[in-house]
Parts: sequence; structure tokens; C-alpha cells
Amino acid sequence: MPPTNLPGFENKVIVGIADMAVSNNPGIILTTYSLGSCLGVAVFDPVARVGGLLHAMLPDSSLDPAKAAANPAMFLDTGVPALIRTVCDLKGEVRRLKVYLAGGAQIMDSTGFFNIGKRNYRAVIDLLAHNQIKIEAEHVGGFVNRTMHLSIATGGVSLKVSGQAKDIALCKN
Amino acid sequence: MQELDDYINRVQHLPPAPKILPQLLSTLSRDDVENSNVVDLMMYDPSLTAAALHLCNSAFFAGKAPATNLSEAVSRLGFNKIYQLVAAVSGSRALSPPQKGYGINEGELWKHSVTTAVAGQLMAKELGDDENLIFTCGLLHDIGKVVLAQALEHIYAKMVEDVEKNQSTLLDAEKRLLGVQHAEIGGRLLARWKFPPNIVAAVWFHHHPAMATVHSRLASYVYLANMIAYFIGHGYGHHAFALRGRAEALEILGLSGDDLPHFMIQTYENFEVVEALLTAQV
Repeated sequence: MPPTNLPGFENKVIVGIADMAVSNNPGIILTTYSLGSCLGVAVFDPVARVGGLLHAMLPDSSLDPAKAAANPAMFLDTGVPALIRTVCDLKGEVRRLKVYLAGGAQIMDSTGFFNIGKRNYRAVIDLLAHNQIKIEAEHVGGFVNRTMHLSIATGGVSLKVSGQAKDIALCKN
Repeated sequence: MQELDDYINRVQHLPPAPKILPQLLSTLSRDDVENSNVVDLMMYDPSLTAAALHLCNSAFFAGKAPATNLSEAVSRLGFNKIYQLVAAVSGSRALSPPQKGYGINEGELWKHSVTTAVAGQLMAKELGDDENLIFTCGLLHDIGKVVLAQALEHIYAKMVEDVEKNQSTLLDAEKRLLGVQHAEIGGRLLARWKFPPNIVAAVWFHHHPAMATVHSRLASYVYLANMIAYFIGHGYGHHAFALRGRAEALEILGLSGDDLPHFMIQTYENFEVVEALLTAQV
């Protein structure tokens, strides 16, 4: 039987906005583009070698419960549990999960009306703390947009930040 | 004003003027407008006509059988859709080349512009204002960046440093380094192109909507639609979020902070419109 992934060729799976993907295929790289105020959440279990990536738009499903029911990945409070559940369905275990955050850009706002980036970050922090899951590394806030990659082969997480030539490694594996 | 004109006059390559838009907007705002009025305006620009027909027949907009001439396209799609197609096609001429000065790649400003136009149009539809007018303002709001990009290319590193060190907005950094900023240059350019005063003011003050006086409602739409496009990650350069929060934009439109997520979701759900309009090329 031919190998599903030829050596040197990796399949990139694009995670859209309000979208998530989970995989245990070492040939896969999960990528999400254009994280503005949205938050990217990558999780990886180094033992089961399964990982997932979420690109959530908004902090809280109470903003639109009907949309959250149809697409949990739109909101962080529904998206993160869905991401972790799906990773656990592929034999991942919560206590082994490495969690990485990127995005949540924020404009200069003293009014508090436009703080969606901050609220997205806050939502994840609270949720993870409540479940006693620690964050391995993060690159959040600021005025920039970001692209996030998770390699299922290595568990490595890297970022491309707008205006910066070099990629940033959140986790070198 | 003289300063803005001097700056514009010194620039070697100005973007091409979307001349048809002000005429088409004023034609469509008449109560007695007929298909032939619209067709008459468009037929003098054959490449625009061809591109509009092409877009009309694209997978997203196409009906059962392709439209073979303008008149058919206009009656099939209706005035609003046709207007948006024409605006997209003529806007792409000015806005789709790369603007290196902002760290914006080819097509990024265009994508940002179309997303802003669609976000503004969706808001206008829900709040009962003129969709085509707001679509146009959103589409052209950053036209000044095309003018400034040539100069900024050489002082890009300085601008980034200014934003980072002084926590200044991109608008202030432009003003400090060039003596002018993209919103006022864009507004002035549109005025020179004979766009109506409301569109000029909305573009000129899209970072300061309250200063647009009688046109502050229109400027508030552009301010919020611009922000929605940034939030959902559509097309921007480095430090795009270095802009100031203006709560008055919400107030002027009678909105609350919670309405912003609602319009973000609506814009996201209309990405296929954005994608379809992005293919507009002349």
C-alpha cells in the first residue's frame, strides 16, 4: 500500500474564521490565517500525538446562542470545549495538553466599546484557569495580525506576524 | 487644503479615478430611474462593461442563463447589485495594486476595502440608510493610502518605530513624518474627482467621525465598518490596529457596543459576497 504522505510533503489544512480542525495524522500542518481581534487556540498532546486548532471570533456564546449551537467554533466559550473534546475523542488527555494562544489584537481604546481582542483573551484565560489547564506559550494583543501553524508531526507551533520577516516559534519541536 | 493639493500634485502616479461612480449614484438616487439610464452611463467604458458582465456571470451572481448584454444584466440583477459590481470593478483599478509603504501585499488593501464596503452596506441595510452610498464610502475610504504609499515605502521603518515607541496611531505617525495623513488626502482626492461632499467628508473623517459635522452619520458607518474588517482579519498592513476607539461612532448611529459583534457575524456570513466581488478586475 502506498504511503498516504510522501516524505518531504506535508498537507496543509486551512482552518477558516469561526472554524476548527483536529488531527492525529503526522503528515498534517494545521494553519489559520488573519487572526485580527480573533483568537487562535492550538492544543497538542505529545503522548497521543494528536492536536487541534481553533480560530474563534468572539468571546461569549450568549452574544448569539443560535449561532453558537450551529457553529460552536464561532465563540471561545463553546469553541475551546469543543476543540478539547474532539482531541480527547482521538485519545488525547486533558492533563497532557499543551495549549498555545495567538491573536487578540486590540485597537487603542480607552472607551472599552471596542475591546473585543481583550475580551477574547480574557474568555480563554478564565475558561482554562477554571479547568486547571495551563498555557504553554502565547503571543497576543498588540496592533498586529497573525498567522498560526501547528505541526501534528512535532507539536511545533509557529507564527507569522504582519510586518515581520521572520516567523516566531511559540514551541520549537 | 493647499498643503494637500501640493502633496497630491507632487505624486507621480495617482490611482485612476472611478469617475463613473458619482454619476451612477446620482442617477440611481432619482425616483424615475430606468434601466437605460444606467446602461447609457456604463457603455462609454467598454472594459468596465465587460468586467461587470463577467462578474455578473460568475458562479456567485449568475442566474440560470448568462446575461449577454448590459441591459439584460441590469434588469436581472437589479440596480443595487449592478451598482455594487460597477463600484467593485472600478474600485479595483485604484485599490488592488500593492502598497508597500504600509507593509500591505498585493490585493490586501483591496480585500480590506471590499470587506469594509460589505460590512457598511449590511449595517446600512439594517439601520435603513442608503446602502449604495455607504458601500461606496467603505470601498474608497483608504484611497489616500495608495497616494501615500510611494512616500511611505522609503520611511516605513521610521513609521513602525514611531507607532511602537510613542504608541501613536498610524494616522498621527503619517502626519508627523509626511505632513499629511491618508484620510484627508483621500477625501481631497475624491473632491478633486468631483465626488459629492457627503462621500468626501465620510472618507476625510473616517477616523474622526464626529468632525464630519452634517455627514457624521456617514463617517460613523465608515469608521465602524473599517474596524469590523480589521477585527475579522481582512487585509491590512503592519500595526493596522494602531487606531483610536471612537465611542461617538456608535452613539451617532444609535448603536451599543454589543451591536459590533452582531455586525461582525453578519459580515462573516457574507464572506462569499466579499469573495465574489474580489474577483472584479479590469
